[in-house]
Amino acid sequence: MIIFATSDKGGTGRSVTSCNVAYRRAMQGSDVCYLDFDFGSPTAGAIFGVEAAGQGTATGGGLHEYLAGRTAEVDQLDVWGQSELGGPRARPLGAGRLTLLPGDSGGGEFPVDATMARRCSDLFLRLDEEFELTLVDLSAGRSYATELVLRATADPALAEKTARWLVFHRWTRQHIVAAAGLVFGPHGILETGMDRGHRRRELEDTIRFVRTAVLEPDSPQLAVLRAEQSVWLQSYNTDLQKLAAKLRLGRSVMLGSIPLDPVLQWREQIIVEDDISTTRIANEETGQAFEDLAKRLTDDSAWEGL
Amino acid sequence: MDIRPRQLLLEMWEAAAEYSYQGGGWKFSGRAESNSTSDAEQLLCLMYPSYQMPGMEIVKPDETAKDVRVALERIGDARQIPQVLVRALSEYLERYTNERGAPVFSGGSYFQPVGQGEPLTPEQRALEIVDSFSMSITLSLAILGFVREFRPTVRRDALLAEMRELEKAASRRLTASMVGILRSFTVRTFAAYSEEGRALCDLVNTEGKSTEKVLDEVRDALVPARTSLRELKLGVELSAEAVDDDSVLFECGWSWGIIRDAPPVDAGTGVVVDQSPGVAQAKPSLYFTVVALDGISDLFSARTRQLGLINPDQEGLVGALQLRSNLAQLYWSTIARLGRSRWPVEEVPWRSANPADEGPETDYDTLLAASITIEALATERARDVDIARIADVLAELAVRGRVTRRARLREPAIELHVPGVRLPLTGAEDLGPAMEWPVADFSTALLKRVARTAAVTRDSALRDRLVGLADEIWDRHVRLRQLSDGPGAGLWDDISLFKLSPTDKGPSWYFTERVMEALVTVAAVSVARPYSARLADLALDMLAEADHLHTAELLRESPTSTVPARTQLHGIGANLQRARELRERQPATSIAIVQAALRDLDALAMARRA
Repeated sequence: MIIFATSDKGGTGRSVTSCNVAYRRAMQGSDVCYLDFDFGSPTAGAIFGVEAAGQGTATGGGLHEYLAGRTAEVDQLDVWGQSELGGPRARPLGAGRLTLLPGDSGGGEFPVDATMARRCSDLFLRLDEEFELTLVDLSAGRSYATELVLRATADPALAEKTARWLVFHRWTRQHIVAAAGLVFGPHGILETGMDRGHRRRELEDTIRFVRTAVLEPDSPQLAVLRAEQSVWLQSYNTDLQKLAAKLRLGRSVMLGSIPLDPVLQWREQIIVEDDISTTRIANEETGQAFEDLAKRLTDDSAWEGL
Repeated sequence: MDIRPRQLLLEMWEAAAEYSYQGGGWKFSGRAESNSTSDAEQLLCLMYPSYQMPGMEIVKPDETAKDVRVALERIGDARQIPQVLVRALSEYLERYTNERGAPVFSGGSYFQPVGQGEPLTPEQRALEIVDSFSMSITLSLAILGFVREFRPTVRRDALLAEMRELEKAASRRLTASMVGILRSFTVRTFAAYSEEGRALCDLVNTEGKSTEKVLDEVRDALVPARTSLRELKLGVELSAEAVDDDSVLFECGWSWGIIRDAPPVDAGTGVVVDQSPGVAQAKPSLYFTVVALDGISDLFSARTRQLGLINPDQEGLVGALQLRSNLAQLYWSTIARLGRSRWPVEEVPWRSANPADEGPETDYDTLLAASITIEALATERARDVDIARIADVLAELAVRGRVTRRARLREPAIELHVPGVRLPLTGAEDLGPAMEWPVADFSTALLKRVARTAAVTRDSALRDRLVGLADEIWDRHVRLRQLSDGPGAGLWDDISLFKLSPTDKGPSWYFTERVMEALVTVAAVSVARPYSARLADLALDMLAEADHLHTAELLRESPTSTVPARTQLHGIGANLQRARELRERQPATSIAIVQAALRDLDALAMARRA
């Protein structure tokens, strides 16, 4: 299964969340590979704590170079072996493989052509045979990367593979509006997808939303709020829910909701077990939210539309 | 108010979901054997609050409140809840449709033989009952609205098709229940000097006047009702004398089922309705009249209009029912309030036709008459002194019915609750043994009417008294009948309150549904805002003084130039503005704000003098 992660704006926590989800999923026992398609700023290496690819790889064997046709093979980094996060550098017992395909440092965006789309779909096809889950982290907004994967997935060779989309957005009025625009708006995912040969309705059924940095009004973290703030938050939250429902990104098409966690805000790395249970710098709910989201990626009942 | 309707309803939902949703599907069962009324009651416990209570909606999965999601967790997440309901509702409608495709409204296990007599025949159990018609009107409208509101979020074709079928079936059932209830309405005429005429005179003669004088009063009072009799045509045979001869007295309302020889009604095209000949005696019953009025009123609710739930084919039936409900309402509220000093409804207990064997049912009749009267007072926007008279009646019933007072062992008033008032279903004995309809909802019906009265009055003191009474009914009676363990824990009805050993287990949907309705009515009390003209005037005078002081402060040059004083004066100005906005709606809040502003202004004045 191929999962595309995108977001309306930068700074939504898309990359951090997808890396965490890939990590959790591998911990749950699946073989997972993570493709850094954020060509302008390939930071997945840093998030996973893989120093060799902190800001993309410098070997010339990254995704950018591969798609441009300058290399035939993409570097595949074993995160378990190379990550500096979370103890011994080895795959934990019972976990699946976790492989990072990094971008290239100093890559940048580029226009898409047919050969590139072919190379992209070849890569997806190959990885889908090898891994249970292929997670592709796209750059924010309406990007060449998005166009590229929409072209690649429209390729009949990939038609039988399951591809799903996660659209990340923060839980604010502007982010909700922007996320709706990214999917349903002009030159959005659906419109671009249709131009590339996708059927609108089927494509729409493969899109789900993930809310990030969410402040749940009843979260114990918010016990410090004044009564006025708490009442306001509750009513504003209700308004946002109505807005989201109106713009078609309501709860029924929401796959996950990641609570606001200072560790994510400041450290921007994966949260490992130690962070929750030993040093206790991260909240248990955050870990749980990643865990649930990781499971739902392949839980068909969560993708069944209403 | 101590009752917390929302919390209690959510707890009820949790218990109902726990009991009803088993093995991935809806289970129709309960204390009584499944029948068209009890299964509808079971479904309504969930459906009714979900559209009557703001914030308890389940039909828009994107907006379902968190506590609602938690309460119904057993059924599934916010997306699954309405889908499960679609299936359960479809199953209900299918279950109560016969092989010819006509909806059925049989009383089934709710019918009982008189005494310990022989068991009822299958034909008797299949008889249709006004309770089921009325409940079906409410349920069908609930389903139609549910489909209407759920549809915009649904995209899956299979589910859409399922919902289209559900909508069609609900619309058919609505038509059939309107036809049934129309054919259960009757107008009965009798001579002034007949036995019935005398009973009517006895009922309304609260001041010991001569029969002749009472008869004159009755005739005068009934003129408006008699006029609207003329407009009845559909489904009722009317003799000319009832309409024109005013020496003939009449009564109108609903009997227990389809009236014997009631003519068939044109149900419109494309709808199969079984219009079998009825057996019910053509005699209005106060109980079934109130039941019918409760269901029919949903046809005219704001929700029904806004969502356009009535289709053009049904307009004729709705119109005919409106005439009948207005007439019955007018007739009974006129009778209940006849006489100058003391109303018949205040003459507790209500006088029955044969005073020789009056039992607890007369207290129930008083409650019914009070129900009709309070609705009439609400439509007439009556004076609070009149509403207070009904409030007194309700308070007395709470005592007489041993709702807010302890009952002695084997006291007759217990029969009001268990086994309940047993209404004879005259006419049914043609098909087997004599038959009865037990009515065991005295306490919840009382709670519902007390809450309704509290919502109608504008007098704060009276409202406060009624809310207190509602709290007491809940706390001293209804709450104690909640099942605490066994299957259906959290639902109703535990009768050990009456020192009776429970005969069987499982929840009584009959009683649980009525508790639910009462709670919804209690919640509606807080929709009506209390108002005091006295406080509004006081607030105005206080505002004038505060405004004056505030303006004077602003006219001084120096204080406004320093930051702390400027912020303070700005805050006071904003508060006064707010107080002015609230004066008409919430005068007490307005006064509280003005008081704070006045104190702040005085602090500045004091400081200047020091």
